[in-house]
Amino acid sequence: MDAKLKQELIQTFSERLSQAAKMYLENCSRCGLCIEACHAYASSPETRYTAVGRAQNIRRIYEEYFKKGKIAKKLNEAVELSDHWMEKVYETAYTCTGCRRCMTYCPFGIDTGVIQGIAKMLLITANMEPKTLTMLADMSIAKGKTIEKTKANFAIAAKNLEKEVLERWRSEGGEEVVPLDVQDADGLYVALAGKHSIIPAAAIMNAAKEKWSLSYFEAVNFGAFVGNPAKTNEIAGRIIEEAKRLNIKEVVICECGTAYRVMKHMSGEKPFKVITFAELIARYVEQGRIKLDKSKLPGKVTYHDPCQIARQGGIYEQPRYVLNQLTDHFVEMTPNRQANWCCGGGGGLVAMGEKDFRMKSAKVKADQVKATGAEVLCTACENCHTQLSDLNEHYGLGVKVEYLSDLTAKALVQD
Amino acid sequence: MVNQIFYVITVPMVYVAVAWCLVGIAVKVARVAKAPAHPFTLKVFPDKDHPVPSAVWGALSMPTVRRHNPTFWVFLILFHLGVAVLILAHLDLLPWFNIYPEDSPHMIGNGAVGVVVTAAILYFLLRRFASPLREISVPADYLLLFLLFCVAMSGDIISWANSWSENGFVLTKQDFGGYLDGLFHFSWADPAETIDGGHYVVLVTHVFLANLFLMVLPFSKIMHTFFAIPLNKLRRG
Repeated sequence: MDAKLKQELIQTFSERLSQAAKMYLENCSRCGLCIEACHAYASSPETRYTAVGRAQNIRRIYEEYFKKGKIAKKLNEAVELSDHWMEKVYETAYTCTGCRRCMTYCPFGIDTGVIQGIAKMLLITANMEPKTLTMLADMSIAKGKTIEKTKANFAIAAKNLEKEVLERWRSEGGEEVVPLDVQDADGLYVALAGKHSIIPAAAIMNAAKEKWSLSYFEAVNFGAFVGNPAKTNEIAGRIIEEAKRLNIKEVVICECGTAYRVMKHMSGEKPFKVITFAELIARYVEQGRIKLDKSKLPGKVTYHDPCQIARQGGIYEQPRYVLNQLTDHFVEMTPNRQANWCCGGGGGLVAMGEKDFRMKSAKVKADQVKATGAEVLCTACENCHTQLSDLNEHYGLGVKVEYLSDLTAKALVQD
Repeated sequence: MVNQIFYVITVPMVYVAVAWCLVGIAVKVARVAKAPAHPFTLKVFPDKDHPVPSAVWGALSMPTVRRHNPTFWVFLILFHLGVAVLILAHLDLLPWFNIYPEDSPHMIGNGAVGVVVTAAILYFLLRRFASPLREISVPADYLLLFLLFCVAMSGDIISWANSWSENGFVLTKQDFGGYLDGLFHFSWADPAETIDGGHYVVLVTHVFLANLFLMVLPFSKIMHTFFAIPLNKLRRG
């Protein structure tokens, strides 16, 4: 590694040293409690994939460049930046799903996400990050810049969805089925790229007689996956600007955990509320704005808490409330809620492919699903849905993996 | 020559170690305080209604450890409570700081507290030799625990094993009280002039190791003493 790059990496590292990062790097006592917390270790016991194992790759660089004393550096196994070491950093940074389950084990609450955030920024500076994620993030940003040119095509695509939405719920006379650019709407629904994320949501919101508008932008934030804060903010910023322009009361994030966390907790103060689609469904049911038919969902149903909306967002009870309106045969996974095992697909792993690692590192999740004896496995996050579907196939779990929104839309009672 | 070394250890080095430790802690805390706040919340849910009291309680009672490794938790609680009692017990040696009866030859806990702390440190040290902890430990982890073990062990010899001799205590609480009082009032007096007996060398060893520990503390993970509450606060929002 040349001296110039080394200097740039040290500069990048130093720019990421917030109060929290400094405390996390200096106070870990390597008690090892977090080892058991990681699904990757629970599935395949390799300490390099534990929170502390991953953090040590960064902590040892920190010891070298941000701490003094030759003896202390030796005793703390400080390492110099090198190509070889950066490869180790890559291996542990982009295999962490950012589920933050380890935080609930650590006596200090050290956030592996913050430490891996440093790792990812170092890799970006060294031009060693997964190019797929950067490319996807850049595409989102480019779309934001050319949105005026693509609006007409987007409107045509939205119009084409009407038939399928109406099959789920007939719209009120004279109203748009998939409305766009609705000024002063109560909700701006931010979907993913793909009709599966729009059709059930549109049916449910229309059934609830919501004044809503579909965002021109997709919710997913590849900037967050790749670990680039500037790109993360730019991608989220497009939606924030749209919501401000339309004077929206509430931004409703589709079933995408990362998009929700970025918009709700990582984008600063906003003049509107941010909620998940699961919360909105629960509200409609609670207020009697939609009615659900329990006969549409036969068999035992279980629910996987997506880390980014549950542990990171506190959305634990609303999806369960909805599911209990959809079935009398709901069973919990063990453990669940805050202690739930990560599906193993977060942090960009699904987008990157990495199927071998995802399957190997999430055996514990597959075992957990199997133990419920459920026939339907419901979740409220696209990433989790993809990973759980892959696990279902790989481990022969024999479940049907479903979105909460889809189950709800299929059970809407037409009055 | 030996007497001079003993004097340097028991008087000037104590002042240097304490000053070094206090300045070191202040610098470390200031460096963290000067760093920018994290740009977004790091809390995990469900969030707490009263994050500050909850963080204090979390830092002191370590509920996550209790939940996930009860044996480790028992030793951690014994160790931390023991250290707190030992700090009080050392203060109680001062003639004007009476928790235990003034004329008692014993420290608070009659030496048992130190033994409990030593046992806990030994447990912390030994568990590091077993996998998977061995893979994530660095030399500093072993050395720090070994230093702590030696400090505690030499303290045990003074406060507990000291009483094993036929004539009872060779050195009493009052002997150590005189020494500490001299340090506290900057008398610069040589403790060897007032403390006598075969165990004096153990006292010097204990003080030397404690000095070393104080000098290492600001550069070690023992700094979690000062950061455990702010760290727990981050998790609680």
